Amino acid sequence: MLQAELKWLDDPETFRVNQLPAHSDHHYYATVTDADQGTNQLEQSLDGTWQFAFAPNPQERPQGFYRPDFDRHNFDTIQVPGHIELAGYGQIQYINTAYPWEGSHYRRPAYTLGDRTGKPGMFSEAPDNTVGAYAKHFTLNPGLQGQRVIVQFDGVEEALYLWLNGHFVGYAEDSFTRSEFDLTPYLQPGDNLITVEVFKRCTASFLEDQDMFRFSGIFRSVRLLAQPKLHVNDLTIRANVQDDLKTGDLNVTAQLAADTFDGAQVHLTLRDAQGARLLERTSSADDTVSFTHLTVPTVHLWQHHDPYLYQLTLELLDAQGNVIEVVPYVVGFRRLELKDKVMLLNGKRLILNGVNRHEWDARTGRNVSLADMHRDLSIFKQAHINAVRTCHYSDQDVWYDLCDQAGIYMMAENNLESHGTWQKLGAVEPSYNVPGSLPEWRAVVLDRARSNYQTFKNHPAILFWSLGNESYAGDNIAAMNQFYKDHDDTRLTHYEGVCRNRDYTDRISDMESMMYDPPKAIRDYLQHDPQKPFINCEYMHDMGNSLGGMQSYMDLLDEFPMYQGGFIWDYIDQALLVKDEVTGRDVLRYGGDFDDRPADYEFSGDGLLFADRTPKPALQEVSHYYGNYDD
Amino acid sequence: MATTTTKLHVIYGDTTLGLVGEHFHYIFSYDQGGLESLQQYGKEWLYRTPKPAFWRATTDNDRGNHFSAHAAMWLGADLFSPCTDIEVAVNGQVITLPVAPENNRYSDHETADTVSLTFTYTTTTVPATTVEVVYTVDATGQLTIQENYTGQPGLPELPALGLQLIAPTMAIGFSYQGLSGETYPDRMAGGIPGTYKVDGLPVTPYLVPQENGMHMQTQRVTVTRQTTLNNADPDQQAFSLTVQQADEPFAFSCLPYTAAELENATHQEELPPARRTVLTIYGAVRGVGGIDSWGADVEPEYHISAETGHSFSFKIAGPDELNH
Repeated sequence: MLQAELKWLDDPETFRVNQLPAHSDHHYYATVTDADQGTNQLEQSLDGTWQFAFAPNPQERPQGFYRPDFDRHNFDTIQVPGHIELAGYGQIQYINTAYPWEGSHYRRPAYTLGDRTGKPGMFSEAPDNTVGAYAKHFTLNPGLQGQRVIVQFDGVEEALYLWLNGHFVGYAEDSFTRSEFDLTPYLQPGDNLITVEVFKRCTASFLEDQDMFRFSGIFRSVRLLAQPKLHVNDLTIRANVQDDLKTGDLNVTAQLAADTFDGAQVHLTLRDAQGARLLERTSSADDTVSFTHLTVPTVHLWQHHDPYLYQLTLELLDAQGNVIEVVPYVVGFRRLELKDKVMLLNGKRLILNGVNRHEWDARTGRNVSLADMHRDLSIFKQAHINAVRTCHYSDQDVWYDLCDQAGIYMMAENNLESHGTWQKLGAVEPSYNVPGSLPEWRAVVLDRARSNYQTFKNHPAILFWSLGNESYAGDNIAAMNQFYKDHDDTRLTHYEGVCRNRDYTDRISDMESMMYDPPKAIRDYLQHDPQKPFINCEYMHDMGNSLGGMQSYMDLLDEFPMYQGGFIWDYIDQALLVKDEVTGRDVLRYGGDFDDRPADYEFSGDGLLFADRTPKPALQEVSHYYGNYDD
Repeated sequence: MATTTTKLHVIYGDTTLGLVGEHFHYIFSYDQGGLESLQQYGKEWLYRTPKPAFWRATTDNDRGNHFSAHAAMWLGADLFSPCTDIEVAVNGQVITLPVAPENNRYSDHETADTVSLTFTYTTTTVPATTVEVVYTVDATGQLTIQENYTGQPGLPELPALGLQLIAPTMAIGFSYQGLSGETYPDRMAGGIPGTYKVDGLPVTPYLVPQENGMHMQTQRVTVTRQTTLNNADPDQQAFSLTVQQADEPFAFSCLPYTAAELENATHQEELPPARRTVLTIYGAVRGVGGIDSWGADVEPEYHISAETGHSFSFKIAGPDELNH
């Protein structure tokens, strides 16, 4: 039987154990009524109160706490989802480029600088690797009983070990990507005990060095899902538009799971936004079912000002014609292409009036609410923001749905940023860069590309796959670029870091992307035989009282068709609402305010919004300039 | 004390020069080096004499590109530059400074059409330069204020150039005719011209308190208070003071803090309790920049050279012109 091993924390080649493969983020229902109403009898939330014990390091953790007979009476409780640090365990820290252990621990990533030892114990025996032990009892709801049951963790930072009823189930890294495990073999009637051990650090720490507060814990939702006996495991929708820019060409491929496909059928329906049926097809069920080149004449195109969505429904029917599973998904027909080195959407030059958006809430950190997201989209609309870069990780999946609906162009980033391994005191110094070209660091970043692609591939809002942020460039990032090229010809790839290592220019990124280049430097690029269209993946650094001089960037839009806009850094300040120790008032605190050292202090506050989501004065300037190019 | 003529009543004191008319009373101090008292309808508008303003509280971008380090001597100049010369002109004629015993030749019935006082400040910078603040008062009580900065080669760029007026108590709000929102020379394209009313004296809550609250291209601002420090004045009626454009629109900020108070705080909650009104009228404002926050400079056209001269003027409306 599979046993959990602590040494996985030290091994860059072990990042998922017994995890289910990544697949599309489609929802599925047992009945048409459930699908129509969005209620799901197959789903059972595990959010809420969990038993919890905190340990400052792996050695002091409550070993064996996952056993049903373990004495957990002295455990505390914690709310899931949430960050361990914001619940009062573990120090809050904000730091940008340098690794959070800077000045406390000397670390070089395994296999860099000629290392062949693999650096055993770097994290598994580390005095700074805090541990959260989570436990929760549950009984399956009736709607889930007697079926295959999986558990979904939407976000756990940074490494998790999972047990059910004392049996080890699996291991996952990649904090911002959904992790799924099959619980079926260990489920029992009545009470079940699910336990999760969360480590703050592992080799993924080198890859998740984003400019943000450094948290840990189960910070997004957890749920159980039952899978019907006929089930869509994965769905690929390609809603293309033919050269006439009028004819829709729909292609749908479903990967199915079933004990038997005997007599089973897949029924496809496409409706327009008013609910009128446009297409119906039926196919016999199999492991793979494809519906190709379904033509939608005079298709209503999807774009920012008119994000028209068709409704696709797949129904899985058994041999008796009973509906076993219903999968709805929205479909947006749009055509993104690179023509004469200019990016066109639906035949028209694309202009990105964008922002970078960290998931942030001043009270709950990176655990943002649906209300936060709705407010963000309403501010986007007010300020004529038409594009968002998910800096620098995958967001909650509902955000992608909302961007489909709101017509927000997405640059969907992988969870990757390793600037601490190559950017030192502002200089490019990649001596121990990961992932670089190190074979031991390739699979893990390819896995991140795969997860991002497989999960979100059906969202019309996503125009670009971004390979990550500020991670330098080498064979491994080139391999990520190739992964996207191999799987998706309907989108373009983006990666800024190739500008730091020009050897990879031909293998990485469809666009020239820079950050914080002054307008003069961009003009210089555009005047000298540019090979790729230019975008600013980060510009107009809105730290404090800033955002002066935007006109000089907007002028480039008029002068150069290959200049296609950019993403302001950034959307919202990262700061935490806490009680002032002197006055008792709610106040916003930033890096260094928690005795965290070293820190990057107020550098966490670069937003167009204050951390409490009130707009900064600069927003009216953005609204003006973006409004001028909002057509 | 109110005069029945259409002329200014001039009081040639030993340490001050008083100017009185219907519903106004101004006192210029030779000792304090400036306008010491500005009263309209019996309400005092000055806590201390107005001073040339040279500093702005460091923005994050200023810190990143080391502008504050380069310009640091202007912080000292903002706080400490003394008044080194005073000149008085009556009806356009410069007179011998009317301090004792020169002023023994005047009476209690002196009048004039206009009186101008020029206060010259010598900056504490190295090299030093001078700034004149010229107040011209007419019989209606309107003050025209002109500030003349003398360029001096070798001085670092100016963070700001203005005149700071501090009122004794905190305003309940202000209204202005100008651009919406907080604007700077390089961030005002989105400002919509109009008339705006602001309640209280909001400080834009940047994580680290810094320069904030600027309003470019202003034609008029009216500040309204409700309280005074005068123990004999129990009246709680709101009262106002209006600053108007002279030749050109002006920029202003109206905050409860000086640049030095903002400079000193690392968090909003470290700012002292708000108790005054700091109204600063600017003739020149440096841009805020925005390319990055770790070195990129403000675009050149939004710098303020200290090596060339700058002049600006504005008016403080007399009591008869109040139209609120």
